[in-house]
Amino acid sequence: MSESTATGALAGRKLKFGFLLNLTLLGLLVLLWVILGFATENFATYTNITNLLRQASLWAIIAIGQTFVIITAGIDLSVGAVVGLASTVVALLLVQGWPIWAACLVTLLMGVLIGVAHGFAIVQMRLPPFITTLATLTALRGIGLLMTSGQTIAGLPSSFSAFSRESFLAVPNLFWMVLLVAAPCYLLLHHSRLGRHLFAVGSNREAARLSGVSVGRTIYLAYIVSAGLAALAGILTASRIGIGVATTGEGWELQSVASSVIGGASLFGAVGSVIGPLLGAILLTTINNGANLLNVNPFWQRIITGGLIVIIVYFDQLRRRGR
Amino acid sequence: MGVSPMPGGPVLELRAVDKRFTGTYALKKVDLAFKEGEIHALVGENGAGKSTMIKILTGAYVRSGGTILWRGQEVALDTPQAALALGINAVHQEVVLCPHLRVAANMFLGDESTRTGLLRDRLMQRRAQTVLDELGFRIDAGMLLGDLTIGQQQLVATARAAMRGARFLIFDEPTAYLTREETDQLFRLIRRLHQDGVTIVYISHRLEEIFELAERVSVLRDGALVATRLVAETSTAELIRDMVARSLAEIHYKEEVPKRDLLLEVEGLSGPGFKDVSLTVHRGQVVGLYGLIGAGRSEFVQCLFGRTRRTAGKATLKGLPFHARTPAEAIALGVALVPESRRDQGLCLNLGVGFNLNLTIFHRLSRLGIVRRAAERAAAAERMSDMHIVAAGQGARAATLSGGNQQKIVIGKWLSHGADLYIFDEPTVGVDVGTKLEIYKIFARLLREGAGIILISSYLPEVQDLADELLVFNRGRLKSRHPARAVGPETVLKEAIGV
Repeated sequence: MSESTATGALAGRKLKFGFLLNLTLLGLLVLLWVILGFATENFATYTNITNLLRQASLWAIIAIGQTFVIITAGIDLSVGAVVGLASTVVALLLVQGWPIWAACLVTLLMGVLIGVAHGFAIVQMRLPPFITTLATLTALRGIGLLMTSGQTIAGLPSSFSAFSRESFLAVPNLFWMVLLVAAPCYLLLHHSRLGRHLFAVGSNREAARLSGVSVGRTIYLAYIVSAGLAALAGILTASRIGIGVATTGEGWELQSVASSVIGGASLFGAVGSVIGPLLGAILLTTINNGANLLNVNPFWQRIITGGLIVIIVYFDQLRRRGR
Repeated sequence: MGVSPMPGGPVLELRAVDKRFTGTYALKKVDLAFKEGEIHALVGENGAGKSTMIKILTGAYVRSGGTILWRGQEVALDTPQAALALGINAVHQEVVLCPHLRVAANMFLGDESTRTGLLRDRLMQRRAQTVLDELGFRIDAGMLLGDLTIGQQQLVATARAAMRGARFLIFDEPTAYLTREETDQLFRLIRRLHQDGVTIVYISHRLEEIFELAERVSVLRDGALVATRLVAETSTAELIRDMVARSLAEIHYKEEVPKRDLLLEVEGLSGPGFKDVSLTVHRGQVVGLYGLIGAGRSEFVQCLFGRTRRTAGKATLKGLPFHARTPAEAIALGVALVPESRRDQGLCLNLGVGFNLNLTIFHRLSRLGIVRRAAERAAAAERMSDMHIVAAGQGARAATLSGGNQQKIVIGKWLSHGADLYIFDEPTVGVDVGTKLEIYKIFARLLREGAGIILISSYLPEVQDLADELLVFNRGRLKSRHPARAVGPETVLKEAIGV
């Protein structure tokens, strides 16, 4: 471990290893892209790639938030429901004539408040994260459906919908949003004091507390980031599909957990990165996209995705043990 | 070695057994024969190789070299199943059973009695109860294991091994968490098993237990067998010499530091697990808290540190009222606590050494909330060299370090942070002799620098040699106070036990 002094106070081995893992994920991704590029006519087209990036962006954003929670050894099952509620709320506000910035701000604020509520239930009421977010998963969907009576909210301003269709420097706006989210998250997780505290709390809550870390505040932070990013993803989803639907984002909580875990996070806490879930989300989207292009039966797609998750995570485990 | 022949031939014999881990020897050419039906004690400091030896005997580890003979036949003994098949069984210090299952279910775990695929619960319960009754334990086989005390769970684990027809039973520090009464029950059981001809290997740090129980004793040091002696012909002093090759006086390093101004004054403090405790700590002074486990010492310091709520009383620190509601507040006011359990309360085990050392000072290492990598590395490097922490690097996970080095991390993070009052709760448990000495030298350094120390220890010679004042706790109350070296150990023990 001659380079151990050069890898910082975070587990040097793990960082180096994490780097390798991400490299391998990246390698897997490139391999898939090359194969699909040759195997299908439409994969390696500008339209398809940008489309893929748009879908991956939405998953990547919630997966990054999910990773914050997973690092504290928690789980946020509500992100899919927050996406749905946020897309509904932003659509309702816009239809009522609110300016876009105000509608987005209010929706993001709602996301933050949901995160605060999760923090309150987990820290003050000492409920398990799984149960807390399972409850909000159910309840938030109900609120969205109640607000819209199960109807689709249409008639959004065209400039709002245009955002997600347009590109900047040939890269879809939605993917720029991912980078916009990932950069501060990277700084927060890997370079800030609060980030260090997230890892400490996930590794050993009691040791962190006895070392003067405010465990409660750290847990609040994780759930606020997760719900806030899910609300952002909800706004972007509404923009992408051009309507507000309360059932949007169904099952996305599992996609985000899968992306996070494929990206090397451990559900036992204290292991995870920002780049990991990003790659994980792109990988999952690529699998879906490729299967579509290859005309794989959509029912089979689900089975294949499930199998791939097991295989990828299994190899990750093997690599961890074998180091 | 001076061992006279004993009745019964060797049941299990190790010949030149080695165990290497990536270049370092955990066991070196150990020759040791366990005789049929004897009680054979195994002692040694932490890291001497006792755990490795147990793991080899129970098939959890495969030896790197040497041969093992079972009743004269060479055996592989390379899996836990192979060991169990020979009747080799171990009872560990930490009970490895299922707390959510009933006692009977635990006793039959992995060997359940069934009829046409269904469990025969009542039969198992009856049989388990019979075994427990025969052994004289007052334990209901229908209770959940988790509802029993740790001591009772230990007895259940032993009963389980006995019921399974163990012929060679290893006890790994079984009394660490037991009360005296539970210890007596366990000893009765061990003697009974001994009468039935079971060979027993007994591992303990408590030498007095070895004199009470064992016939022969083997001493390990640095992975090598130092001596095997007849218990009747040896003494505590001789065993300690074998174990450490150093005397206690050399290890219990103490400098005379003058007592200075008053640092902490506690008046009538009460909280969960302790009541009405008053004491003072001066700068340059070590106040030792002695008592049995559960006597309220740890509870008292944890309340002082803001981990639990106080219900009555007051305290002043550096002349100002002191009432910490959270550990963070206590730390900010100049108090540091090195907790009792470094694994549960002290360390982020799966994070790096550097991370753990800096955990208390990330706020100082960062600017505008962003941690400065260079400062972070420099701080950790300085602390690691200052404390001679042996690790593969700053990034090495804390879990991969030896107990002594782990303890140095837990202490080191407080040295990095700094404090006026340092509280050490059992700082030398599970720590090798060399590290103990280093820890005591740190005490001296802190005292010279003007800090005050509260030292909790369950090892009386340690508190007596290191503390200036000795306070004895009993059932949650402060029973008495003495100048540490002017009181007889018998007096202190009596007060602690409460007879």
